[in-house]
Amino acid sequence: MTRGFVIASIVAVALAIPLRVAAHHGAAAFDTGKRVTLKGTVAMWVYSNPHCLLSLDVTGEDGQVVRWIVEGQAPNVIFPVGYRKDTFKGGDQVAITVEPVKNGRPLGRILQAVLADGTKLGAATSPPSNAPVTPQQ
Amino acid sequence: MRQLTRVLGSIAGLCVAASAFAQNSSPGGWLTPQWDKPPITNANRKPAPRRSLAGMWGPADGPGAGTQAQGVPAKPNNGKPENQLPYTPFGLELYRSHKALEGFDAVLPSEDNDPRNRCEPLGMPRENHYNVRLTQIFQDEYKIAILYHYDNRWRIIWTDGRQLPKVVDGGVEIAGELRERRFFGYSVGRWVDDYTFEAQTVGTMPDDRVWLDSTGRPISDQVRVTETFRRVDNDTLVWSETIEDPKVYTRPFETMRLPMRLHDPRTDVMEYYCSPSEQEDYNKLFGNGASGKGAP
Repeated sequence: MTRGFVIASIVAVALAIPLRVAAHHGAAAFDTGKRVTLKGTVAMWVYSNPHCLLSLDVTGEDGQVVRWIVEGQAPNVIFPVGYRKDTFKGGDQVAITVEPVKNGRPLGRILQAVLADGTKLGAATSPPSNAPVTPQQ
Repeated sequence: MRQLTRVLGSIAGLCVAASAFAQNSSPGGWLTPQWDKPPITNANRKPAPRRSLAGMWGPADGPGAGTQAQGVPAKPNNGKPENQLPYTPFGLELYRSHKALEGFDAVLPSEDNDPRNRCEPLGMPRENHYNVRLTQIFQDEYKIAILYHYDNRWRIIWTDGRQLPKVVDGGVEIAGELRERRFFGYSVGRWVDDYTFEAQTVGTMPDDRVWLDSTGRPISDQVRVTETFRRVDNDTLVWSETIEDPKVYTRPFETMRLPMRLHDPRTDVMEYYCSPSEQEDYNKLFGNGASGKGAP
């Protein structure tokens, strides 16, 4: 593990990830248009309805570890994007770009995931109409 | 001889059907939905079968095209005047009493009163407007059955010539008896021509049980839902809907015109359901916090 990875960072970036989110349990809570990239260690991946949930521990610049919980849509919705029951395992080092909630809590929804092996997956949301739905390698 | 010809014809038909979907086979036989099908053109268009809606259908514009998160697609709930629904005073009051998680007047998670989040059946017509994805249609000489993906729900449209029940106070009247309201109502249908099927539904649940869409637009037990299924060609079905509900709306309006594409009948359909315990876990881990309430 590199120091750069262990000291996981939260980087607010204006990534060129298209934000075309088809909501299920509402978009009102999210800070629309804001992106945060979280680099951290997977604690838990729950592949369930109504939403899949990923929790990961992210160490900030002050050394404090913050547990983030980020959501994806239901399994059948994100399956075509490439998310599976075993996509994340406890201890995996991952980079997750999220749209955070407005109230400042460590919560958000997944716009992109870079897995431990470098595989990139797109937004864990309903694929937009006529969009490619294959995972990006 | 005629029978032998018919049998051979059926076998040939099955072979053609199998070869048409052969490109979608996968190891193990558990086919996943194929959403990136080539468009239907004059070169690959096959004629529609006569008087048949049978098949596994998915939104032609991709899996997200049936989500309808912003409300019925013909009138998205986006605050634009042209999409304002023609509410009666009662209908508007009802709409304002609904706290939806989607649409122009959306509230935060845990502040909503959407019956869906208590895992209530969506009922008619909302099941037509909630994450429509793989939808199976079966039919025999008496009925058409629609199997919805979400929450493994199904409904029957009778085609045997029976009459639509009369809507009365508290339910419907059938042969002089008062019968109960139903989440999916009472549906009958008929072939308008060899490729167009029309269904009517009445006798649905009252307005506190069923919404029109996920943005909280209301519907009442006085609604009459008219659906038209037009088999454009073998691979394309256009599913339209108009609602008439004098208690809630001053005039009828079209809610959707959704093109559906034929999928391989062997495609495996993943479950997509509402579970009270999983919903509770979700609220505990995420929904409440996103609303600024409780942990985390």
